[in-house]
Amino acid sequence: MSGSVQDLVLDGNAAAGLLQEIFVPEITNAEIECEVCGSTARVGALHLYAAEMGVVLRCTCCDGILMRAVHTVHGRWLEMKGTRCLRF
Amino acid sequence: MTAIETLARPAQRIAWQLAQVRGIAAETYRVKSLMLRVANWRGHLPGQHVDIRLTAADGYQAQRSYSIASPPEDEPLALTVERVDGGEVSPYLVDDLRAGDHFELRGPIGGYFVWTVATRGPLWVIAGGSGITPLMAMLRHRARRKLRAPALLLYSSRSLDDVIYREELGAMVRADPDLRVVHTLTREQPEGWVGHRGRIDKALLAEAGFPPGQNPCIYVCGATPFVEDVSRFLVELGHDPLTVKTERFGPSGG
Repeated sequence: MSGSVQDLVLDGNAAAGLLQEIFVPEITNAEIECEVCGSTARVGALHLYAAEMGVVLRCTCCDGILMRAVHTVHGRWLEMKGTRCLRF
Repeated sequence: MTAIETLARPAQRIAWQLAQVRGIAAETYRVKSLMLRVANWRGHLPGQHVDIRLTAADGYQAQRSYSIASPPEDEPLALTVERVDGGEVSPYLVDDLRAGDHFELRGPIGGYFVWTVATRGPLWVIAGGSGITPLMAMLRHRARRKLRAPALLLYSSRSLDDVIYREELGAMVRADPDLRVVHTLTREQPEGWVGHRGRIDKALLAEAGFPPGQNPCIYVCGATPFVEDVSRFLVELGHDPLTVKTERFGPSGG
């Protein structure tokens, strides 16, 4: 393991447990459209940067931030400023 | 409608529940399969995972995701866990857990990295090390349903002793003329080894794999650098990125 930042990248699929606490329909197969570049992808195919407290999901085309989700003792937070829409 | 098609559209909250260990099977010197009974298991699809949560006496919790290794047709539910030395969760699961013990689990989770016999086209699964686990659920599902579509497993392991499910894969190939399993050993090869050596590269993918014209469904699972390399090679060989589904195992602390 080289320990570079690139090694920390996972797939959106790995955030399914956390996001499924918020969404009722299955989330990793949902289509997500990037506000910045307009490209569409499945949530499960996004680039995921994960830490103990939460996740950042980025567009695979432009690297724009599509979702940030954290689960704290004060509640769950979901920010989707970079997302134009989600289609289930 | 079979159970598989019904399960393809779940819309149900996933809740933490208790899993009981029914049995433990050693797969390699650092990998074990846990056979679990989960009282309210609603079935799963090949490729899905579960979250596991362990709580210490002082209330500290650690959570990890593990792929499901068993096909939907089988009971009990099987998870295959590799010991990550110094990890918070996997050494406990691999070394300390005993039959009859309980732990918290939620799932099944994920609908993206999923393959069922209802999916069209050849199945091509590419595994690095313990990345074989969700892909094994797909191959076992395919075998239970006796699907006669071509399938290929390209499997990279450090040494022959590190090959998980080695005997079962051998038996699967002998029983199924439509399935090919191609091993490559990256660090250590036994004497007389005539298989591939070294990491999966573009040449091996081109030589062993399905050409893009056959529109295979491709699933790649392993450590992040492995998945990055393989998926990049596949796209360079002309495969449509949308047909390449990836699941990276990050350095999550095991």
